[in-house]
Amino acid sequence: MDIRLNNLTMVFDDITAVDQITTTIKDGELVSLLGPSGCGKSTTLMLLSGLYKPTSGQIFFGDQDVTKMDAEKRGIGMVFQNYALYPHLSVLKNIMFPLKMKKVPKKEAMERAKEMAELVQIGHLLDRKPGQLSGGQQQRVAIARALVKKPNVLLLDEPLSNLDARLRLEMREEIRRIQQEVGITAVFVTHDQEEALSISDRVMLMKSGVIQQESRPQEMYKRPENEFVASFLGNPPINLLTMKKIENGYQLEKSAHSLLFSNLATYPKSIRVGIRPEDFFVTKDNPRFTGEIIHIETIGRDTLIRMQIGDTTIRALVDPVHQLKVGATCGLDGKEENIHFFDSASGQRIETVERGEKHA
Amino acid sequence: MLEKPTWKSTLKGFLYLLPALLILIIFNIYPIIRSFLMSFYTDYDYFNDIVHEYGFDNFIAIFQDPNFITALKNTGIFVLGVVPISIFLSMGIAVLLNNKIKLAGFFRTIYFLPFVTSVVAVSIVWSWIYHSDYGLLNYFLGWFGIDPIAWLNDPNYAMPALIIMSIWKGLGFNIIIFLAGLQNIGEQYYLAAKVDGASAWKRFTNITLPLLSPTIFFVSIISIINGFKVFDEVFALFNGRPGPANSALTVVYYIYQKFYEEWQFGLASTAAFVLFIIIFIFTIIQLVIGRRFVHYN
Amino acid sequence: MVKDALSKGIIYLLLAFGAILMLLPFVWMISTSLKSPSEVMAMPPVWIPSEWQWENYQTASEVAPFGRYFINSIIVTILSTIGELLTTILAAYAFSKINFYGKGIVFAVLLGTMMVPGEVLLIPNFVTVSNLGWLDSYEALIIPWIASIFSIFLLRQYFFSVPTELSYAAKVDGCSDFKFLWYVMVPLAKPALITIGLLKVIGSWNAFLWPLIVTNSQELRTLPVGLSAFTTEAGIKYELLMAASTMVILPMLILFFIMQKYIISGVARTGIKG
Ligand SMILES: Nc1ncnc2c1ncn2[C@@H]1O[C@H](COP(=O)(O)OP(=O)(O)OP(=O)(O)O)[C@@H](O)[C@H]1O
Ligand SMILES: [Mg+2]
Repeated sequence: MDIRLNNLTMVFDDITAVDQITTTIKDGELVSLLGPSGCGKSTTLMLLSGLYKPTSGQIFFGDQDVTKMDAEKRGIGMVFQNYALYPHLSVLKNIMFPLKMKKVPKKEAMERAKEMAELVQIGHLLDRKPGQLSGGQQQRVAIARALVKKPNVLLLDEPLSNLDARLRLEMREEIRRIQQEVGITAVFVTHDQEEALSISDRVMLMKSGVIQQESRPQEMYKRPENEFVASFLGNPPINLLTMKKIENGYQLEKSAHSLLFSNLATYPKSIRVGIRPEDFFVTKDNPRFTGEIIHIETIGRDTLIRMQIGDTTIRALVDPVHQLKVGATCGLDGKEENIHFFDSASGQRIETVERGEKHA
Repeated sequence: MLEKPTWKSTLKGFLYLLPALLILIIFNIYPIIRSFLMSFYTDYDYFNDIVHEYGFDNFIAIFQDPNFITALKNTGIFVLGVVPISIFLSMGIAVLLNNKIKLAGFFRTIYFLPFVTSVVAVSIVWSWIYHSDYGLLNYFLGWFGIDPIAWLNDPNYAMPALIIMSIWKGLGFNIIIFLAGLQNIGEQYYLAAKVDGASAWKRFTNITLPLLSPTIFFVSIISIINGFKVFDEVFALFNGRPGPANSALTVVYYIYQKFYEEWQFGLASTAAFVLFIIIFIFTIIQLVIGRRFVHYN
Repeated sequence: MVKDALSKGIIYLLLAFGAILMLLPFVWMISTSLKSPSEVMAMPPVWIPSEWQWENYQTASEVAPFGRYFINSIIVTILSTIGELLTTILAAYAFSKINFYGKGIVFAVLLGTMMVPGEVLLIPNFVTVSNLGWLDSYEALIIPWIASIFSIFLLRQYFFSVPTELSYAAKVDGCSDFKFLWYVMVPLAKPALITIGLLKVIGSWNAFLWPLIVTNSQELRTLPVGLSAFTTEAGIKYELLMAASTMVILPMLILFFIMQKYIISGVARTGIKG
């Protein structure tokens, strides 16, 4: 069952938490909602669940308009950030609760709950109370409870944020496994980009209630559609350099460096150039950027350097084979396809740049 | 987060409130207004529920009624007799109980027992204890060479008898509140004082007493308010009379007499109104000063 | 060390002395209730009856219908407690989990009325009850007492501590508001409800003035009212009076011994006097 959002908008007092979102989530897909804190991820999820009703716009489950339908009737499963398990009920009773509300006969409910518990591998904990479980176990119970009534959609709101790093890694694979096993449409909210990129079929990146880009994880990383997307993804963050239009190209401010373009007439006065640190390589062969190394630090296999060009600092992840020293001058370059151009004013990607020859 | 109020949620909210609100309006809110009005009934026909005349006559009348003055005086004496002694004793016991002794729970249970018992029943038990010929109290006093006292028949002793019993009945409640207050005082103060070499008495006067002052204040107000409402004890201890020669006539007893025995609804309501004013004053004192204490803490 | 042990000893001594004084009336009551008339008047007092006169209890029940009083007290106590719990649960839910127009005002008015002593309500309530034709009926004994602002206030505080996400989870799981209240909030608030219920049971069982004025016939008297009337009926037969008093006091003492944890913590937390 596809989920379709049509101009979905949610306004709280004076904040527009969700702003005219239109999109489709395909059947069986796992979509991540990613974005900085306060961008409207949870609100979007609450709208999908029916716990909030939108200010305007529609939500369709398949062909059915569910915009006005109450949460208890939408047939969704939801996993909350703090799991929201019923503290007075045992694990088994927690999982059975949605079935009890649907008046499923007790015996059948018990069987289905146990089945579900096996799926999330907590079959041995059925008699415990939530208070006696670890975070990871609680999360599994929450997932089982969400899935037991065979919902059409599974909604997860930062379900991993309370777990430690190791468990997080484990659990997100677990969630992916369960989701694919059940074949359910799932929406997963997170503010952890790595989580979003690794787990999902598609990522929706939000900012201030607006979807900035929705695409496959790799594509979002490789071809950010705007400056925000470029800067949000990646760690260490992408380098963004402001360049002003000069006669035959663009020049880095207060520096001799310039990128040359032909056919400049249609381009803006100022652009932002984005290059990810790992897309740089050290070269002596006519590099695009030359400057003084001001900082070197080792991160895992790579070496992170900071290089000063005029007023601008560039971060680059380079191969440790280059014997670099602080204070030395170094040349950096990147492949054409890894250099992104954005309009300084609108932040939008400039697609059809015809690149000129390199700076001599 | 709560969703914003809508007409739908308002309907729902009041639906949930309905049962409680219905009862409270009929038996709590309406009677307050009615009682206030009733105290100005000068001429009232109860059987037909018709008011012929309103006025201040009732207020003049009760303050000219020597019985009402007696009732006010007695109630005042009762409060002055019960509250300080009860607070002194219960605080002392609470401090002792707070000493990490083994049987603290057991003692607390015993001291608390009277709280759960019927005032009427224990008053009857006490009237037996106060019996002038065969009573336990006179028997014990006999050990110290004190002649038997006609506790319940001598107007001079009726009030003390009432006070002694009320202290016994209310002690456990105050102890519990004091214990709760004591447990809120951090251990660190005592440790610090011990390190400084303060004696137990010094620790009590310099730490316990000041830090417990909000509790003392709270208990005092509650005790005063409850003291002003004393009735059941009097009724049962003196077998349906306000003590010998009205010596234990209290304000609520006066209300009861005027209302239930003499059918003087206006006068009874006026007396109730006076009682309300007295209690209201103490409630306000508590709200105003009590709040300051809370901040101070 | 010696000094410490000594002071501990003194503390125990003081506490034990006080405890004996507290218990004495109860011991004396039970002891007297089992004595023969001659032992009752014995001087010096007899503490343990030579022969336990259990029939005193029976005699008392024959002189006055204590069985009937007992049943009345139980009916009134149980019904008003159940009633109060129900109205309290519903109202506390509205005040804690629903946002509606006028909520603040209604709540403030209710809180305000808590300052007014019950004695002030006595007369108008009597008039109301008699206008309703309820004088001398169970309605009069029960219905005015099935809602309590204080309990609502207490439970509301407790309900506030239930996280909103739990109500979201319940909605997603298919609960209507009412089902959420019933299946989640109420079980969660069990300790608070037990405390409220117990305080109500004690208050209701021991209530005197109101039952005294709204009942006339013997058939509707509750235990305290019946006991108070009994003092006239029994005359100076103290063994019977003490037997009757024991019948009134004992059920609450037993209840207290079983549930004292809830009762004491409830009193400590709320500071209300029964
Ligand atoms: N109930 C509400 N009333 C008013 N404003 C709200 C409410 N819920 C959310 N907001 C506002 O809407 C915006 C989006 O909130 P939302 O909770 O959807 O953010 P989020 O993306 O989930 O953030 P986080 O990652 O911190 O959870 C925020 O500015 C928030 O302050
Ligand atoms: Mg959120």
